[in-house]
Amino acid sequence: MAVETSNPGEVHKRAMIDVRALEKRFATRSGEEVLALAGVNLSVAEGEFLSVVGPSGCGKTTLLRILAGLDTPTGGQAMIDDQLVKGSRDDVGIVFQAATLLPWYTVLENVLLPAGLKGDVSTAATARARDLLKLVDLADFGRKYPFELSGGMQQRVAICRALMRNPKILLMDEPFGALDAMTRETMNVELMRWCSEEKKTVVFITHSIPEAVLLGDRVVVMSPRPGRISRVLDVDIARPRGLKTMALPQFGALCDEIRTVFGADPVRARDL
Amino acid sequence: MLPRMSRTLQSVLLLVAVLAVWEGACRLFSISPFVMPMPSAIAGRFVSLIATGEIWPHFVATLTSILTGFGFGALAGLICGSLIATIPVLDRLVYPYLVALQTVPKIAIAPLFVLWFGYGLASKIVITALLCFFPIMVSVIAGFRSVDMNQLEMMRAFGATRMQILRRLRIPSALVLIFAGLEIASVLAVIGAVVGEFVGAQVGLGYLITSLNFNLDVAGMFAVLVFLAAIGLTLHGLVRFARSRLVFWVRSEADDVLV
Repeated sequence: MAVETSNPGEVHKRAMIDVRALEKRFATRSGEEVLALAGVNLSVAEGEFLSVVGPSGCGKTTLLRILAGLDTPTGGQAMIDDQLVKGSRDDVGIVFQAATLLPWYTVLENVLLPAGLKGDVSTAATARARDLLKLVDLADFGRKYPFELSGGMQQRVAICRALMRNPKILLMDEPFGALDAMTRETMNVELMRWCSEEKKTVVFITHSIPEAVLLGDRVVVMSPRPGRISRVLDVDIARPRGLKTMALPQFGALCDEIRTVFGADPVRARDL
Repeated sequence: MLPRMSRTLQSVLLLVAVLAVWEGACRLFSISPFVMPMPSAIAGRFVSLIATGEIWPHFVATLTSILTGFGFGALAGLICGSLIATIPVLDRLVYPYLVALQTVPKIAIAPLFVLWFGYGLASKIVITALLCFFPIMVSVIAGFRSVDMNQLEMMRAFGATRMQILRRLRIPSALVLIFAGLEIASVLAVIGAVVGEFVGAQVGLGYLITSLNFNLDVAGMFAVLVFLAAIGLTLHGLVRFARSRLVFWVRSEADDVLV
């Protein structure tokens, strides 16, 4: 099912990410074919924060991997900044579910990794890395090693690493999925602050409906078998948002609306 | 009281207790010194071997064989392992033969090495190197393949080249298992050198054991074993020390066992 996602409120902004009729087939071990993505159309405006929510198997990670250049689609096309995505790009930063820091590097060296890979070992790069660590309140942790940090701190370092090359786009694949609920809420609020300061276009994958609504300008709802977009909702809640936003009636209404997309009774599916 | 003592003190006390029981049993049951000498007799021979200077040429010869053999074996294991791990063709063509060679008990072919390389140090170094080679090569191959898939994806997503992935990810990841191989090899190195000397030598701690055996100097044989154990423990300790410095991010329970 194809869904037109043009947003009347955003017409003046150009599309930073443009996905047309995207399709991805996988062959499983038993030789069966799985349609991970089918007919996905999506356009993300410059500076937009787009949440993608859906149950496991809905293809949301596949979509992100294609945008990151880690997978190639079997049909359709993915464009970033009017260029076809072919492999990794300097203007895209990515944060995975696991922090994936390199344990033999210090926190500062981990943040500097993307610059080092491009041969940039300048003092400006180091200054940028230190600024980013300051942004996420880890200014004093540059010389520590990842194993000396908590899970939430490690994920903050991973976000700094993604921001290191000052990418226009930030792709996040359930970055807070492994964190405890309280750390997760704090990170959500902080992430909105970091992103507004760094002015990024963000695609944020999650399986938490409240997280998707809290963070997103729009929420893309995906469903499985085959992985497709079944709904796109605008989140008309003013920024800056905080934890109190979640107590607003509009917030609850939006969450319920998303739950009905999954065919679930809003009350019974509240845990989703 | 016992839990409050330091681990080292507990170990020393245990050793003292075992030696005391041993000494007492020998005296109580009048065990022949040709079967099981008393610890005091072994200690006496240990001191006399040092005092007469008799031990040193043997000690130096065996230590040379061990260190040189370990060095060559480690170097060859690192090079072969790295090549096989990174070049798929070598993995397919050469690795099966190396495994087949590994199944040959190298100690059984030690006489052949003495025949080829003579009674001098060379044959001992070759045996030692060969014994050290396999565990190191296998650990290098396993090490290079132990890369975390998530970290690999991350490196690719940030546009790392093959060489950058090798240098910044594969080699540091491999170090963990490489050191496990080096630890095993450090123990095997002592065995290799001594076996080589058993088969045919004019000098070395292995040679000294066989010649003391001819003279029925059992206490002297035990005293030489103490020297061999000291070499083995020191070499193993050095490898562990290097590991704790180079692979500092891995903290295993095994760290506390021997230190």
